Amino acid sequence: MEDNVKEKRPKFCINDHVDILLEILKRLDGRSLCVSACVCRLWCTIARNDSLWEHLCFRHVSPPPSSGVRPVVVALGGYKRLYMVCVRPVLRRLGRLRLAGDSDRVRRVWTRDEVQLSLSLFCVDYYERLGRLGGGGDASGSSLMFLCKPVNV
Amino acid sequence: MKRDHQETIGGAGNSMANKAESSSSSMATGKGKLWVEDDQDAGGMDELLAVLGYKIKSSEMADVAQKLEQLEMVLGSEDGISHLASDTVHYNPSDLSGWVQSMLSELNNLPSTDLDSSTLLSNNQDSNPSTMTSLDFPINSQSKAFVDDSEYDLRAIPGVAAYPQREFDKSNERKRMKLTLVGSNTAPTLAVNSIQSSNSSCTPSSPQAIMAVSGTLSEPTRPVVLIDSQETGVCLVHTLLACAEAIQQENLKLADALFKHIGVLAASQVGAMRKVATYFAEALARRIYKIFPQDHCLDSSYSDALEMHFYETCPYLKFAHFTANQAILEAFANASRVHVIDFGLKQGMQWPALMQALALRPGGPPAFRLTGIGPPQPDNTDALQQVGWKLAQLAQTIGVEFEFRGFVASSLADLEAEMLDLRPPEVEAVAVNSVFELHRLLDRPGGIDKVLGSIKAMRPKIVTIVEQEANHNGPVFLDRFTEALHYYSSLFDSLEGSGVTPTSQDLVMSELYLGRQICNVVACEGADRVERHETLARWRTRFDSAGFNPVHLGSNAFKQASMLLALFAGGDGYRVEENNGCLMLGWHTRPLIATSAWQLAAEDSRLR
Repeated sequence: MEDNVKEKRPKFCINDHVDILLEILKRLDGRSLCVSACVCRLWCTIARNDSLWEHLCFRHVSPPPSSGVRPVVVALGGYKRLYMVCVRPVLRRLGRLRLAGDSDRVRRVWTRDEVQLSLSLFCVDYYERLGRLGGGGDASGSSLMFLCKPVNV
Repeated sequence: MKRDHQETIGGAGNSMANKAESSSSSMATGKGKLWVEDDQDAGGMDELLAVLGYKIKSSEMADVAQKLEQLEMVLGSEDGISHLASDTVHYNPSDLSGWVQSMLSELNNLPSTDLDSSTLLSNNQDSNPSTMTSLDFPINSQSKAFVDDSEYDLRAIPGVAAYPQREFDKSNERKRMKLTLVGSNTAPTLAVNSIQSSNSSCTPSSPQAIMAVSGTLSEPTRPVVLIDSQETGVCLVHTLLACAEAIQQENLKLADALFKHIGVLAASQVGAMRKVATYFAEALARRIYKIFPQDHCLDSSYSDALEMHFYETCPYLKFAHFTANQAILEAFANASRVHVIDFGLKQGMQWPALMQALALRPGGPPAFRLTGIGPPQPDNTDALQQVGWKLAQLAQTIGVEFEFRGFVASSLADLEAEMLDLRPPEVEAVAVNSVFELHRLLDRPGGIDKVLGSIKAMRPKIVTIVEQEANHNGPVFLDRFTEALHYYSSLFDSLEGSGVTPTSQDLVMSELYLGRQICNVVACEGADRVERHETLARWRTRFDSAGFNPVHLGSNAFKQASMLLALFAGGDGYRVEENNGCLMLGWHTRPLIATSAWQLAAEDSRLR
C-alpha cells in the first residue's frame, strides 16, 4: 500500500525542469540571483547564463533597448558584469536618493537615462581594464571605484 | 558688508532657540535705525518683534540687543553657568528686556573680564561644517572702528613680533554670534568664508570643546595663536594674503618673515584648510626664493598619472567629458562619418563613452575618426599611438569603424588646419574638443587668436570647450593669488567631502595634481605660467568676437550631469548650473568648471 502511494506520486525535482527554473530565476532581483548561484552546480551554471542578467538589467525599461545593445554589452564583458559593476550601484545610489524610505531594496523601475549612464560607465570600465592589461599605468585605480564606495547620504 | 550679511541671514535659529533669532533681528534693527523707525509706532512696542511674540520697547532695542549678545556669549562658554539658562525662572518670557535683565543680574557676580572675553569655539572642520556660518558682531564702538574689512591690516605691522599681540587684541574685542543656516549654501571652508567677510568663520553646531579665554586673558602677553584653530584659520588666511602682498611690493624680507609664520599656523589646522595652506605656502616660497619648478612639458606622463587619479576621485573631469560628449553626439546626429579633433588627448578617457553612444545610435554607428594632439614626450615614446591603439581595440570590440591619428605639438598655436587631413564637410562632420587646454595659450598675445583661426579653418560642426571657472590671469599678482586661494579652497573642500578615505593614494595624488596647478599660478611667470584660467564670460566674449555662435547644451546633458553627480559620495555638495546654455559644475555656491559649445557663425559656415 505504501509503495503504491510512493509510486503514484512522482517525486518532483525542480532540477529536472530547467525551463521552469529559468522562468523563476528570471523574476528574481540581483541579490537573490547571486544567492541562487550558490545552491548547487546546476543552479550555478544556470545563474551564470547571461540572458538572465540581461533580463534583469532591462526588465523594466520601456521601450526595450534596441538589438544593437546586446553585442556591445557582451563584447564589453557581459550583462552580469554590467549589472554588478554599473547598473546595481547606479540604481542603488539614485534610488536611495529618490525614495526616502525603502532604501535597502534596489529600485525596480528605472529610466533609459540611467541605463544609458550605466552603459557609458561600463564602457569606460572596459577601456580602463584594457589599459591595465596592456601594462600601461598602475593597476590600482579604477574610475568606477567611486561606485563601490559607501555613499554618505 | 557685514550688515548685508546679517540682514539676509536674520531669522535663523540656533541652539538657544528663539532668543538668538530675535536678537539677530533686533541687532539688525538696532544697527539700522532707519529700518526701525519705519516700523515702530510712537513710544510703543516694536511691531516686528511683537509678531514673534516678544514685547520690547523700540527705544530699548539697542540696549537689549547688546545685553543679549553678552548673555549669549557668556552662556556659551564652559564656565558652568549654562545651567542658568534652564534654572532661572522666567515669568514673562515675552518681556525680552526684563528677561535679559534678570539673566544678567544672575551673572553679575562673575568677573567682568569674562563678560568681555570672546567665546572662541574650536573649529572642527570635519564635523558637518556645511550647515553653519557664524558672524562676528563687534559691539562696542571702538571695535567697530577697529574691525577692518580689508584683509591687509597686517601690512602695517613692522615685523612679526607685533603680530601675535595685535591678533590677540582683535580676538579680545570681537564678539561672536552663532547663527545657523539650515541647508546653507555657503561654502563651508574657513578660508572662503573668512575671505568673503573677514569676520566670519565656521563653527560646529554642537559646542564641542569650547575654549574659554579666561586662561589667556590672565596673561595677555602669551601668544594665543595656537589655542584656537578657528582663530588661527582666519589668521592663516590673513598671513597668506599679507605675504602675497609683501611679494607684490617686492618687500621680500617681510614676505620671508610672514612665510615662516604661515608654517606655524598651517600646522595647527586640519583637513582641507591645512592642505590648501601648505600648497600655497610652498608656492609662495618658490616665488620668494626664486626656486622655480621644472619645465612642465618634460613630465607629461607623471602629470597624466596624477590626472587619472583626479579623474577617479572627483567628478570634474567626468562631468567635462560627459557634457562635451553629449553636445558632440547631438551635433553628429545624422552624420555617417565623423571626425573628432581632441586638443589634449592625454589618456583618451573621454572617448570610450562617446564611442559607445555612437555604437548604440539608432541607425547604426558612423565611421569614427579621432585626431589626438599631445605634447612631446621626453623619452620619445609615442604615447599618443598607445592611446590610439587602446581606443582602436575598444572600437573593434563594440563594432565601430575607427581611425586614429596622433599629432605631437608643444603648443596648440603650432597647429595648422591643413596638417590634419580634413575631408570636406559634406563627407565628414568635424568636432573640436578642448578640455582645460585653451587657457595655456593666453601667455602670449596672438596665441589664442591663431588657434581660434585654425579652428575656424577646420570648419567644425561643433566646438566643445571646458575650462576652469576662475580668474587667474589678471595682471596683478595679489588679485590672482586671492582668486586662486578661493578657488582651490573650494576644490580641496570638495575633495574632502567626497568620502574618499583620507590616506588613500587617490586622494593624495589628486591633491598633488591640484597642488601643481597652484604652484604654477602662484610661483611662475611669463611663458612658464600656463595655468591662466579665465572665466566663462571672458571666453564667451572671445569666441563671440572670433566669429562663433553659442550652442545651447540641452536638457539631456543636464540630466546626465546631474545623475553622474548624484553617484558620487558627497553628491549633494556638487551643483550643476545652467548658465545661458552652458553648464557649470560647482561645489556649493562656487562654480568651478564650465562647459560650453560653439559653432561657426552663419556667414562663415558653408553647407549646413
